[in-house]
Amino acid sequence: MRFTMLLFALYEILKRASKRNVAYRNYIGSIHRVKIMIKTADGKRGRLFIFDQGKVMTQSGANHPYDAAIVWADAKTGFKVMASQSDAEQFKAAATGKMKLDGMAFFAQWFNDGVKLVM
Amino acid sequence: MALINGGHLVGKYLKEVEKVDIVFGISGGHIEAMLDGFTQYNIRTIDVRHEQAAAMMAHAWSVYAGKPGVCFLTAGPGFANGLTGIANAYLDNAPLVVLCGRHPLRDDLKGALQEIKQMDIVKPITKWAATCFDIKRIPEYLSIAFRYAAEGRPGPVFLELPPDILSITVEESQVPMPVCTTRKYRMHPDDKDIKAAVELINNAKKPLFLGGSGVGLSHSSESLKKFIEKTGIPFMLMNYGRGELPDNHPNSVMEMGNLGLMFGVGQADVLIAAGLRFNWTFQSGQLIPPSVKLVRIDIDPHELDRNCAADVGLAGDIASVLGELTAHVRNNDHSQWAETLKAAGRSVLDYELRMRKTSSDPIHPIRLVAQIQKFVGDDAIYVADGGDTSYFGLAFSTSQKAGVIATAAGLFGCLGTGIPFGMAAKLARPDKKVVVLNGDGSFGFNAMEFDTMVRHNIPVVCVINNDCAWGMIKHSQELSIGCDRLQCAELGTRHYEKVAEALGGHGEFVTKDEEIIPALTRAFASGKPACINVMTDQTITSPATPLFYQSLKME
Repeated sequence: MRFTMLLFALYEILKRASKRNVAYRNYIGSIHRVKIMIKTADGKRGRLFIFDQGKVMTQSGANHPYDAAIVWADAKTGFKVMASQSDAEQFKAAATGKMKLDGMAFFAQWFNDGVKLVM
Repeated sequence: MALINGGHLVGKYLKEVEKVDIVFGISGGHIEAMLDGFTQYNIRTIDVRHEQAAAMMAHAWSVYAGKPGVCFLTAGPGFANGLTGIANAYLDNAPLVVLCGRHPLRDDLKGALQEIKQMDIVKPITKWAATCFDIKRIPEYLSIAFRYAAEGRPGPVFLELPPDILSITVEESQVPMPVCTTRKYRMHPDDKDIKAAVELINNAKKPLFLGGSGVGLSHSSESLKKFIEKTGIPFMLMNYGRGELPDNHPNSVMEMGNLGLMFGVGQADVLIAAGLRFNWTFQSGQLIPPSVKLVRIDIDPHELDRNCAADVGLAGDIASVLGELTAHVRNNDHSQWAETLKAAGRSVLDYELRMRKTSSDPIHPIRLVAQIQKFVGDDAIYVADGGDTSYFGLAFSTSQKAGVIATAAGLFGCLGTGIPFGMAAKLARPDKKVVVLNGDGSFGFNAMEFDTMVRHNIPVVCVINNDCAWGMIKHSQELSIGCDRLQCAELGTRHYEKVAEALGGHGEFVTKDEEIIPALTRAFASGKPACINVMTDQTITSPATPLFYQSLKME
């Protein structure tokens, strides 16, 4: 539940940043239709973030097509690592197989770097 | 009394002083005496179909043979056609020696055939450029050219030889050959800098070594091996440094790939970057957070703080600096850290690792790479040329020096370099299998060189990752201006393998996963230059594309 709420909160933050935060607005630029999914490996929880010509949109659920996905082994780990906002924690999760990237991995990195500008 | 003409003096110097036995170019009237000099002194000539390929082959020869490569260009258009290859060598720091004809001095300002100010054009893209005006000084000028090409930070040099000196004779005894003056000078970093680097390395908990072209250009295999095995530091090698230690060395973390590196480099506490420029592919150094202590080694002191200030900068030849460090560093074991890096890399590359193992329809480019690797193995030379194709091609693994090079992924981003590099690799190391992985766009630039390969019996196997487009441009445009406004990005389905067949090579057309290995088997068995045209998934975008897109975003 906390993971799901965190994802929704993240969407709200990014949406607001896309309108008010100049650095973030420039960062996402006018990129056309890039879809980033954050989900659990079992596919029970997830949220799609859509970036399209400066706008940030979202869809709840893990069953949407995406360009890149950050896949957490479980919701608890996902919440813990994302809430920590720590690169070291994220690296540790990857090294222990609790976080994997799917699809065009560079976009996951791009998404994370954008989040850092806002947080 | 024995007379010798200027062209023969060129051949004599190349053969007797520099021990050059192969040169690359295209014939031309202005350089006829020099061509005859190659015959006289038994120097093999590889005559290509476009001078850019000659410059690229000579550049590649320097990489694969480990000594300066020589190309010859005729005046005017021959010169102009060679410029792309010279510029590429300039940005790659390759020791390329260009010998070029020009219009006669006698006819200067008369509207002579191919009269153009070549020197003014070539100077900005060479380390040294000169015109020789005196037949007796030809060996001296050549000696200077070779010295400039190879000493310090290597680079291309350009020597203009007018017919007024090539095609006249002189008493041979009046033109003694200089002794080979290309010496190895050693630059020595300051002792206190060596000490500071040793301290950082000895105290590091999570060190990482990144080696670039400088590692290859300084032939540092032996000193690198000693340094890595004593310190236990995990390493990745790139560009012309790739293969100085094999990818399967116990300390290698090559399997992380570029993405894993981008993800993991910030977790290192000490980064040792040797012969590696922090250019756009490293996001001009921004990839390395300030928390990482940075030791930079480069033969050019200007590189040590460029884009990212070094905590310790060591100016010098990589092999010799590593030798000095090895004498002072402690024995250590960082195998646990190396395993952590590799495991993180596997998570980041999870999708690609699955795709490598999975039969796909249409064929995924990374699956194509995996199937080629499965058939050809590690003891081979791989060249990748293209946009997205370069990214996928870097996933080949090798035990050969300079065994995996993405030729278009250099600073010049020069598409079309793959086939010339493949040809030079096969000539330099004829006992090794050579595979060029070409994009369909990049294939077009030097496709006619299949004729060169057939005439000179250079059996390279060229595999085309054919997505019917300038893939990186197409996918970048999809991101920037939208799918409905693509411009000059698509190419269509073409039977490039028939071009190879028409020129006397072997051709294969592949559309299904299960056809890849049989096609490779037939291509290598043919003993001919071969083109395997593989239709791959047009929707696949490599991670290099958004990196490319981001690098050109202006607001």
